[in-house]
Amino acid sequence: MAEWIRFIAGSVFLLIGLFIFCVQLFGVFRYKYVLNRMHAAAMGDTLGISFSLVGLMIFSGFNFVTLKFALVILFLWCASPVSSHLIARLEVTTNEKLEEYCKTEKETDK
Amino acid sequence: MNRREKEKRKEKSEKEEKKSSRFESWLDGDRDIYDGNMELRPQKEYEPSPYLLRRQENERKKMEERVNDVARNKEYRVFKRAYRVLAVVFCLSFIALLVLAVSWLPPVGQAGNPDNNEVSARYIEEGLQETGSVNIVTGMILTYRAFDTFGETNVLFIATCCVMVMLMLDEAVLKKQETDNDRKYEPKNDAILQGMAFILCPVIFIFGIYVILGGHLGPGGGFSGGAVIGAGLILYVIAFGFKKTQRFFNEAVYKTAKITSLVMYGLIGSYFYITGANGIENHIPLGLPGHILSGGIILPINICVGIEVACTMYAFYALFRRGGL
Amino acid sequence: MAFLQAILLGFLVVCAISVSFSRNLLNSIIIYMSFSLVMAMIWICLESPDLAITEAAVGAGVTTILFFVTLKKIHAIGQEDGKDKH
Repeated sequence: MAEWIRFIAGSVFLLIGLFIFCVQLFGVFRYKYVLNRMHAAAMGDTLGISFSLVGLMIFSGFNFVTLKFALVILFLWCASPVSSHLIARLEVTTNEKLEEYCKTEKETDK
Repeated sequence: MNRREKEKRKEKSEKEEKKSSRFESWLDGDRDIYDGNMELRPQKEYEPSPYLLRRQENERKKMEERVNDVARNKEYRVFKRAYRVLAVVFCLSFIALLVLAVSWLPPVGQAGNPDNNEVSARYIEEGLQETGSVNIVTGMILTYRAFDTFGETNVLFIATCCVMVMLMLDEAVLKKQETDNDRKYEPKNDAILQGMAFILCPVIFIFGIYVILGGHLGPGGGFSGGAVIGAGLILYVIAFGFKKTQRFFNEAVYKTAKITSLVMYGLIGSYFYITGANGIENHIPLGLPGHILSGGIILPINICVGIEVACTMYAFYALFRRGGL
Repeated sequence: MAFLQAILLGFLVVCAISVSFSRNLLNSIIIYMSFSLVMAMIWICLESPDLAITEAAVGAGVTTILFFVTLKKIHAIGQEDGKDKH
């Protein structure tokens, strides 16, 4: 019985993760502008992968591998948002026609 | 008499000195041998006549017209079509050749295959006793085939030397471009990136050291761990710039670490080859398989290879980006 | 497992073809990076994790960075999308 509960819980988490990955892929190919696509991709990179890895953790049980999975999740949560932030920053600083694509705050300082 | 003889000797020795010094100066090319012996006049600058210039221009124009006239240039059209057809034919025939060669190979995982010979049997059966490493692959490439791996490590060393010869810049040029190199395209003092790199770099370094030290116990080894450490160094440079990196990893440290590790590998390896090839007793203890201090020469060689690869990766990045370490 | 390997090998072929047919150099580098990642997964399927670690670190990590730096050095990034007048 416990095995069944573990199997169902793990597969539910895995399926949620895979669904988020599908949404991410759809978003990346559906949107045309960099910041929108980046939003979709970053969501899959953090939420989808953490759900999938939690599912795998439940499958593997409580041992050393689970700890490694947790470390992988921690590493990805640290690394992936920073890379998205850098891409966004590069786009904002290099794109001269930013107003055409998205709303920007008017520069009142100048 | 004595005095005269002495004076004569002195003159002779002076002359000889002069001769030898003249020979030396001739050898070094200090003096132009034609200077004073031949009449030297400065050369006139070449000035083509306007007629010649016009003719050359006309010919060039005609040539360009002929080449650029695609519609009537039959050779060009034929060449273009033939190029495409031949490229496709060549690719297809090459693929067919490769597939044919693969189809002759025996299927994977059968007992009668030619790769199931006494060599692999020996590696699998007696590898643990002879090398003391739980991971058969590492035990194989660092003891049975240590000479090959030494060659690979030398290839890395020579590759960085070549990149240095081609891309290394002078100190003066580097100083001039210092601000450009450090902070031209890279994110300028990005607080988020710097904070994350401050947390992640030590973690990456520790993971790389773990992979290097666990090479004989599980998957890993010098090459992979060194690449991980090199990637961590690159992250540090991207986040904090070259100035801060040079505090702990400048050219002197790079040279010392790299050459020391290579020489250490050479010494350990040659001791191992000589004793192994001549049947002399090997005095490096193998230890208990499964412990971290085991495997004989595998652990020190792994550390040497790791340092070498980490230095190579970082040096490649630094040389490609700014032309100096 | 064999099915998964077949899918991964198919990915490998698609990546290899699209690297050479891609007009944008940046795109080809990123596709090459995904090629390396798929290759690492295939190494794990073939039960050689040592090679997988090296492939993921060197092929997908360091080589890509070196390619990017080289492209930046020869000013090849950002010229293909029509923004720059050349």
